Parts: sequence; C-alpha cells; structure tokens
Amino acid sequence: MWGRTLQFLPNSKDREGLLPWVIGVMLFLCALSVASAVAIGTGVEQWSRDLASNVTVQVIVADAGERSRQTDAALTLLRATPGVKQATLLASADVMALVSPWLGDMPIDAGLPLPNLIDVTLDGSTQINMQALDERLQATAPAARLDDHQAWLTQILELATVLQLVLTAVVAMVTLSTVAIVIFGCRAGLATHAEPIAIMHLMGAEDSVICRAFDLRYLAHGVKGGIFGIGFAVITLWTVSSMATELGEGLVSSLAPESSMSLWLLSLPLFAAILTMSTARLTVRSALRDMM
Amino acid sequence: MITFENVGMRYGMGTEILQDVSFSLEKGSFHFLTGPSGAGKTTLLKLLYLAHRPSRGLVNFFGKDLATLDRSELPRMRRRIGVVFQDFRLFDHLTAFENVALPLRIKGAKKIQVADHVEELLSWVGLEDRMHAKPATLSGGEKQRVAIARAVINKPDLLVADEPTGNVDPEMSRRLMHLFVELNKIGTTTVVATHDAELVNAINAPVLSLDKGKLSLKRASSQIDERL
Repeated sequence: MWGRTLQFLPNSKDREGLLPWVIGVMLFLCALSVASAVAIGTGVEQWSRDLASNVTVQVIVADAGERSRQTDAALTLLRATPGVKQATLLASADVMALVSPWLGDMPIDAGLPLPNLIDVTLDGSTQINMQALDERLQATAPAARLDDHQAWLTQILELATVLQLVLTAVVAMVTLSTVAIVIFGCRAGLATHAEPIAIMHLMGAEDSVICRAFDLRYLAHGVKGGIFGIGFAVITLWTVSSMATELGEGLVSSLAPESSMSLWLLSLPLFAAILTMSTARLTVRSALRDMM
Repeated sequence: MITFENVGMRYGMGTEILQDVSFSLEKGSFHFLTGPSGAGKTTLLKLLYLAHRPSRGLVNFFGKDLATLDRSELPRMRRRIGVVFQDFRLFDHLTAFENVALPLRIKGAKKIQVADHVEELLSWVGLEDRMHAKPATLSGGEKQRVAIARAVINKPDLLVADEPTGNVDPEMSRRLMHLFVELNKIGTTTVVATHDAELVNAINAPVLSLDKGKLSLKRASSQIDERL
C-alpha cells in the first residue's frame, strides 16, 4: 500500500491469470524465430567463408593425353598465381568416389572419360580476379573450367535472405499479436475494475495515478511471461543444438544460444515487459480520457 | 458556494431525469435531499459529486462554471468533495485504515502525516479497534463509518451522503447522523439524501425535495411529505 503506486486494484487472477502465459508463448515463438534467423545468417556466412577460400578447376577433354597435358599446364599456371596457396590434382580414385553416388562403384580403368579435378586453396590474403584467372586458364588450357561456387552460393544467399525476411515477418506478427492481446486484456481489465477506477476518480485521483497501478500490474505480467517464454526458448534451442551437434550438422547447431546471442536473448523479457507496460499505459490512458 | 440554475439531465436520448433544477448551497449549510424512488435523487447526487456533467443549465462549483471546467481541473475540484455511498464502495482488499488513507494518499500526503490523521479519525468514528480489519469482516454500521471517515479525511468543503443510514439499525442511524451534524458544525457543507422521514424530522434542516425530476425547497422539516 505504501509505495509510489496506489494498489487500489484488487487481484483478479481468474481474469488476467492467463495473460503472462500468452505473453510467454508469444515470446517463445519470437525467440525461436530470431534464433533461426541469426542461425541462418551465421551458417551462410560460415559457408561463404569456407567456399571463398577454395575454387575447383575441371579439365574436361575426352583424350587422356590431351587431358593430362592441359592439366599440367593449368597446375603450373595456378601454382604461379599470387594468392593461390595450393593447387592439387585429385587422384582418380577420389574423382570416382565423388561420382559414385550417381554412377555406382566402378573400377578406375573402366574407360569412362572423367574430367581431372584440381582443388585450389587460396591464401585469403590476396584478392584474386576470378574472371581474369579464368581467361588465363582458357588461354593455357582451353578445356579447363574454373568454378568458384558463386552461382550456387548466390542461390543459397537468396534463399537465406528470403528465409530471414519470413522470420522477421513472423517476429513482427508475433509482436503485433502480443500488442493486440495486451490491448484486449487491458480493456477487459478496465471493464472489470470500472468501479474502483470510478471511486478513485471521485476521490480526486488523476489519470496518472490510475495508469501507474495498471503499469505495475502489466509490467509484472510482461516480466512473468518474458521469463517463462525465454526460459522455455533457451531450453528448446539448447536441446535442438545439442542433438544437431552430435549429428555434425553445422547450420542447426548454430541455433545454440552462445555468448553473442545470450545478450539479446536475455533482453527479450525486458523487451516484453516494456512492450506490455507501454501498451497497457496507452490503452488505459486513452480509455480514461473518455471518462469524466 | 454551489449553484444549480435550470439544470436538466438526461442519459443519452432518454427522457429528462432532472428538469429545471435550481438551488444553491451556502458554505456551512446542511440540506436533506428527499423524494420517492425514481425522482432523480441519485442523478442529482452524481451531479453534486461531479460524476456527470449536466445535459443543460448552469452549474457553479466553488466559483467555477462546470461547463467550462477543463477535465484536468476535475481531480482538484473532486478533492474538495467527500462522498458517502449508500453501498459504501470500500475496497475489499484494503483494510479500514488503508481505505480511509486513500484520499490522502491520492493527494500525495506522506506516510507519517497520514498515519496520525487516519488513526485519529477512525477513533472519532469509534473504529480504533477495527483499523486493520478488511471490509468483509466489518458490520454494516462499521463499513458505513469507514466510508464516512474516508469521505471526510480530506476535510472536504462539501459532503454528499447517499442514504447513509439505509443499511444500519436506528441506534447506529442516530450516531451516524450525529457525525454529519458535527462535521457540519465545523463548516462542512452537507447534503444527505434519505428516505427516512424520522431522521429528517429529528434535525431541523432545509429539505430539497425531488419529485419526477422537479426540485422544491422545504424549509421546515415538519413539511416533509408523510409518504417519505
């Protein structure tokens, strides 16, 4: 009773008791969406970094002698190129292993004219103009094809961007839904407590005094819901991440709430509490203005 | 101090509950408000404790015209008015002490200032032993005394009581009326709405009589209609 806020509102757990749970569920969905968006971003960034440090050169020509000659020429050129750390010709057995999922197990001397593959590792410190390198390769070994994975990576990046936009839309919708639920809850609360509010007004209470009582109540709802939602989200993310790590799945395992993610995860209950309280304050203030 | 001139009141598009009501309350005066059920007593009381604005007519409170009074000025104005409701309207989750302290807390009084004042007032209404009881454990008379204490804690300029003796026995009724008379003696303008003709007869005060929305002033208590 003796605080800055006058607790004139009676407890109404039967009517408002579900609100923290609803806020918690919304925050849980929000946290999963944000974690997924961050994980996609992190995963794609990791893949981009890995792929950017490697390129592949294929030498595609049916004649074995010519293939061997152009491969040697390409290797020489690549090894002399600044920024190339290593250029290694893949063994025939490794090439067979790469195509075996589609062609099945075959002996190496089956007569199939497979291209020679050169795995090129870049040192990362020197920027290489891939188009110029490709042109020089064409001049030296016309059957050589440089693949810097950009086409595939571009598609992956586009997909990741779309997924992140979808997840951002989910977060926005969940946030708006939470605001709408709090507004409905608040209006119900105003109707439930119409008499205490009227008595307070008649005793000379200003709107700010009445608002503060609602502020405190909805702040508590937001904090309770926030802690429940974020707690459940952290457990879920940690469980999924642990299971995925055991399977060696890099993208899903990045869902784990690591230190960089922990800060925003911990800030979500605060965000929920502030959002709930602000929404309640605006709703109550607007409703009170319509009263005498 | 308070003036009503040709005041009319209707709710929405309904019929007029009060018609051309005119009267004035001088500082320190004591009035009864009587009338049969449906005469408009409650509506007139609501206008008196600033729960509504009239549909028409002029109402002047403490020198200010209600029609031009900004909403932000209402709280300060309402703090000058104490209200005793027929059904008490106490906060059930608060103790008698906390209920009585509310108007002071609304005004921003400090804890130490409030405590002495509330205890003194609760003692004055005979509830010194029931200060920390919640309304659910109080009798009708005790609740009414808490409600009166809450209404007068701010030393209001105007005290409005709606059937303050409606829920208590005759002995308690006399004691409560004695409280109102005492408050009036120290300068509080008092309006008591009642159906109790015996009560009205017991105190020689002017009577505002409402019938079908029309108000008349009867100076002598003996003139009160026997049907009341």
